[in-house]
Amino acid sequence: MREYQKTYVENLKRIITLNDPDRQKAGDGEGFFALRRERSRQVHDLIRENTAMLRRELFPVLDDIASASDEEIGHLSDFAAALGAGGMDQLDLILNYSIHNALVVHARKRSKRDMLIRELYQTGLALFYMQEIINRSGKNRYQWKMGLMFGEAASYIKQYDDITDPETRGYIHRSMGNLSLAYGGANMEDAKRKMAAVRRSLQVLTDPMYREKTPSLPWDRYVYVSHQERSSALNVLRAGYSDPQVVREIMESAEFVREYQAEMCRQTGAKPMVRWRMGYEAAQYHCGIRPLSYLLHWLEQAFFERDQEDYSEDGVYNNITIPALYAEYLSRSEEYRSAKKNVLLHMYRQVERYVRSAAESQVGEQLSKELLVCLQSFVEYPSGIQAKDFLLRLVMGRDADAYVHSRLIAQIAEMMTARAIDARPDVLVGALGCLDADQVKANAPALRRFAYDSGLLHDVGLLAFPGLTRHIGRSWLEDEEEMYRHHVYVGEALLAQSPSTRPYAPVALGHHRFYDGSGGYPAEYDRSAQRDQPIIDIIAVANYFVRSTDQLSSINYQAYTYDQALASIADLSGTRFSPQAAALLLELAPAIRAYLDHGVQEAYAEAFRLLV
Amino acid sequence: MEHPREIEGFWEGAGLPALVLTDQDGVWDTVYCNTAARPLCRDYAHLLAQLQPEEAAALERAVGASVADPTLLFCHVEREVYSAVLMDWSGYRVCLLQKVSEYYQNNQRALDEAIMANKAKTSFLSEMSHDIRTPMGAIIGMTEIALAQGDAPPRVKECLNKIKVASGHMMSLLNEVLDMSRIESGRVSIQAEEINIADLLHEILIVALPQADAGQLHFHLETGSLDKERIWADGVRLKQVCLNLLSNAIKYTPAGGQVEFYFDMVTESAGRVRMTVRVTDTGIGMSREFLTKVFQPFEREEKSTVNKIQGTGLGMTITKNLVELMGGSIRVTSEPGKGSCFTVEIPFPAADDAWDDHANQLSGKRVLLLSGSEKAAANACRMLSDLHVEADWAKDAQDVVDHINDALFADQEYFALLTAEQVPGVDLMAFLPEVRQRMGQDFPILLLSENDWSQTEYMFTRAGVDGFIPLPLFRSRLAEGLYAYTPEGRVQQGPLPLGSQRRDFSRRHILLVEDNELNREIALELLSQSGLSIDTAENGREAVDRFAASAPYSYDMILMDIQMPIMNGLDATRAIRAMERTDAGQVPIIAMTANAFVEDVQASLDAGMVAHISKPLDMDKVFSTMELFLGREHP
Repeated sequence: MREYQKTYVENLKRIITLNDPDRQKAGDGEGFFALRRERSRQVHDLIRENTAMLRRELFPVLDDIASASDEEIGHLSDFAAALGAGGMDQLDLILNYSIHNALVVHARKRSKRDMLIRELYQTGLALFYMQEIINRSGKNRYQWKMGLMFGEAASYIKQYDDITDPETRGYIHRSMGNLSLAYGGANMEDAKRKMAAVRRSLQVLTDPMYREKTPSLPWDRYVYVSHQERSSALNVLRAGYSDPQVVREIMESAEFVREYQAEMCRQTGAKPMVRWRMGYEAAQYHCGIRPLSYLLHWLEQAFFERDQEDYSEDGVYNNITIPALYAEYLSRSEEYRSAKKNVLLHMYRQVERYVRSAAESQVGEQLSKELLVCLQSFVEYPSGIQAKDFLLRLVMGRDADAYVHSRLIAQIAEMMTARAIDARPDVLVGALGCLDADQVKANAPALRRFAYDSGLLHDVGLLAFPGLTRHIGRSWLEDEEEMYRHHVYVGEALLAQSPSTRPYAPVALGHHRFYDGSGGYPAEYDRSAQRDQPIIDIIAVANYFVRSTDQLSSINYQAYTYDQALASIADLSGTRFSPQAAALLLELAPAIRAYLDHGVQEAYAEAFRLLV
Repeated sequence: MEHPREIEGFWEGAGLPALVLTDQDGVWDTVYCNTAARPLCRDYAHLLAQLQPEEAAALERAVGASVADPTLLFCHVEREVYSAVLMDWSGYRVCLLQKVSEYYQNNQRALDEAIMANKAKTSFLSEMSHDIRTPMGAIIGMTEIALAQGDAPPRVKECLNKIKVASGHMMSLLNEVLDMSRIESGRVSIQAEEINIADLLHEILIVALPQADAGQLHFHLETGSLDKERIWADGVRLKQVCLNLLSNAIKYTPAGGQVEFYFDMVTESAGRVRMTVRVTDTGIGMSREFLTKVFQPFEREEKSTVNKIQGTGLGMTITKNLVELMGGSIRVTSEPGKGSCFTVEIPFPAADDAWDDHANQLSGKRVLLLSGSEKAAANACRMLSDLHVEADWAKDAQDVVDHINDALFADQEYFALLTAEQVPGVDLMAFLPEVRQRMGQDFPILLLSENDWSQTEYMFTRAGVDGFIPLPLFRSRLAEGLYAYTPEGRVQQGPLPLGSQRRDFSRRHILLVEDNELNREIALELLSQSGLSIDTAENGREAVDRFAASAPYSYDMILMDIQMPIMNGLDATRAIRAMERTDAGQVPIIAMTANAFVEDVQASLDAGMVAHISKPLDMDKVFSTMELFLGREHP
């Protein structure tokens, strides 16, 4: 790697360390604030350094990738490999993707066939991880491109005999197998397509002709991974779909994986991964071989046998996914849902403890993904843990900076709401069903509380994208900005899941949409359909003020001074912001400034108390 | 013909002569002729045989109309005169006759006088219209000339615009009056010639779409079966009928409403087709009373919404007359406040379609169709099947990729991709370039679009689209569009009008700012193929100096690299924009860079650049972008 590439990688690792809350080192709330500020400053400096390095060193090369030298291409490949190591938890997924994508261009222009096959595979793989992330919002952005990349690489199977490099042949087989990754939806159409793609791949992988031509390839491993992928279609059965052919193939693969794992464990002495054992047990249930009671009992056993300090892939699965699956299967039976209430609540408490105990380096994409699965299947009992509390503790437990941000907005939103109730109650007519100014005044405490909680919860969707706010060690690229925008969908879905959080779902969805509909996101947000739009308007303007003046967390744009932010809000009143909400914030500007002078420190102290 | 007993029971008690008729495959047959009618005729055919030819034709027309015609008809049978009234009853059409000889004779004189007066009116209107049209032509022409003078004061311009609108309206009124008088005086005849329905529809849409846009209406075109594309018809009159219906619908539908134009051409018998045109709107509608008069001349409904809209009340009369002259029928349904629906059916002799030659070359080929509409896709697939082209429908981007991958493994690769202009959930501008990369430069990607290709060509050629097939879809155009990309079609056409070969910028002068010598050389070579005159600069400072030293407007565009030594592209752009010369703020400056942070793209726009081209330079994209900006003329 070139020197700047090594520095860049080191800086990224350093940023992950600096973002660790490090409670012990902080000592108390005041120390925690000072530590976070100092570390944020250091992170900011590293981000600036990384951004400048990429602009100076990397981008000119990518700009002219067609004429890059072989030596430069070699360095880029090594750099991409360093950035991409770690599967879902890679150091810099989008940059890794950008480099591989550029290498595809290079290989095409220079007619380097073997390199093209390899880079198509690598680009496809990066796109798979990107899709996995964006998938958390239920949206699909990279799937088709991934299919194009893997499909093109796999198409070289027609030139198999001309390609002599075994590694390149391996990429062809892996690409062919990976075509099935495009079908992850919990619907029968995707399941059937996945079955067909795996069938086609297995046909080639078990063909003696190919094995004889390239004996050095890990054929058995390829077959095993194909079965793993096929058994992952279990999600379709869980969603209630059923098709005899699909069920049969999933069962066949689940058995294959279980036996393969058992054999590997016999050879190495390791313990079989719970994920794949679970696949087998769940397949047995969905195929009608075992009853639900058996599966629930099996899940309980697996959970109680887990290692509570294990943050490996299987550890995260055991600690977070098993409770999520348990909740999902409980929901199938009212009887079990009621009978197993205490077991599930215990599991949830353990999930919370597990997430809060994780070091920053352990809060990666995988943990976030599984946590999201857990939250998406959250079962809220009237007298049990409330989703609102659970979410807030996890927001805070995961990311103190995010908590502080939300806490500031909550406070400012409450101040603005209180001001509106006193001075201009008509502004809040509609919110919480208040029909007129008198009702607004009569419901003052509820309105203030609602505004405060809306501030706390508006950004919960960011749980799905921890890398964006915590791990990206440079200015954002376009794909990252696009991913960030999806947090509103995740937030809405999470909050809509449980009765205690449902009223806040529109706040999560609508707080970035412009007042006059001329911009912001999501475009499909319909403000006229929202009962509580006056509060969402307040959150929107409070969010802008806090976000745009935060000197340390704004990595993409130069932060505003308070005066600049206020001038900007005045300017955007009537377009981006509701005139009433903008006026409220402008009127309260002195009080808000006074609050922020001490409020940030207080919020960090509060975050610290909640952490300990 | 046998008849149910209840028919006899009912109509024997009617007291008037009555013939109960039914439609037997287009021929009206008598189901029952009551006792009172029998002294006049044995059956309907016998009645027709006794009438004067004009009376027989009028009665035939009235009986054959889809809805019983309320017009009063007189029939001379032997020495008596009967009035004939038509009505629908229990699925039959009934012709009721009443002897009115005395009344008729008493009124004959008054009638003759009225007819004479009507003829005199028609003749007067016709001559007057002619005489007024000539000076009106001069008024309209001179107004256009006056408006074209750029130096007219605003107030004068405003007056001229008002004269233009008013005189245009007056001209259309005169034309309608003239048309009506021609029809009434029997001077309009139908001139059948071989016409292409695709061209006809295209010409209709060119006129109607802008009208609908101006009225802020949603215009929806739907085509049913199009068994034949070439027919023998009077194209001018057919177009007039369709446009009258459409402009009427547009005129009486408030902004935000919808106008739907449905069209089909179904084989009726060997060598004959029946065309159906249906215009449906969500406009103000008509009352039940007015519906009976909608086709009568100078009739306009008396209500405030109508009074505000200009019109003669002749349009529908002319339309009905033209439709009947062509042997067709028109019917209308309407509800006040909900809208109206006019349906025209006209039979035409079919001509031979001319797409068979192309179809031979396309036979056996496979085409992938990307469309979000199942109905549109089914229609296109049916047409492709008629051309012996195998078609697969993809509803979204993932579906396209699946089909491409599946086809590859099944050794059945596609010949071309046809894509709708908009597909829900698919960003075509991002998707199509990737398909182009994957499938290679020779793979045809063709756009199916209702819009004018010249308006969207820039955008879609950038995305990798090769050509365009206009909607509504016709087999001939589909065959022609696909054939152009077969080996035979390519030979016939020579080089396709795409890519750099199409562009001619020989009168244009640009400044290329690029510090990398090799990149500069490559760009120079590629750009100069289009005839551009190119100056180069090696860094931002040099670019600023060159621009400063050039005469105003000597550069049509600046292509600016961002990262350069001495002065970068952003600073150079800012320096140029800050100069005090008239073209400094106007010359398009386009950034050239492959990888940019979100903030960089914003920074280049903030610095005053107008667009961004990715590196390595794809010349097709470069030229498309240049076309967009070089199309602008100097002030």
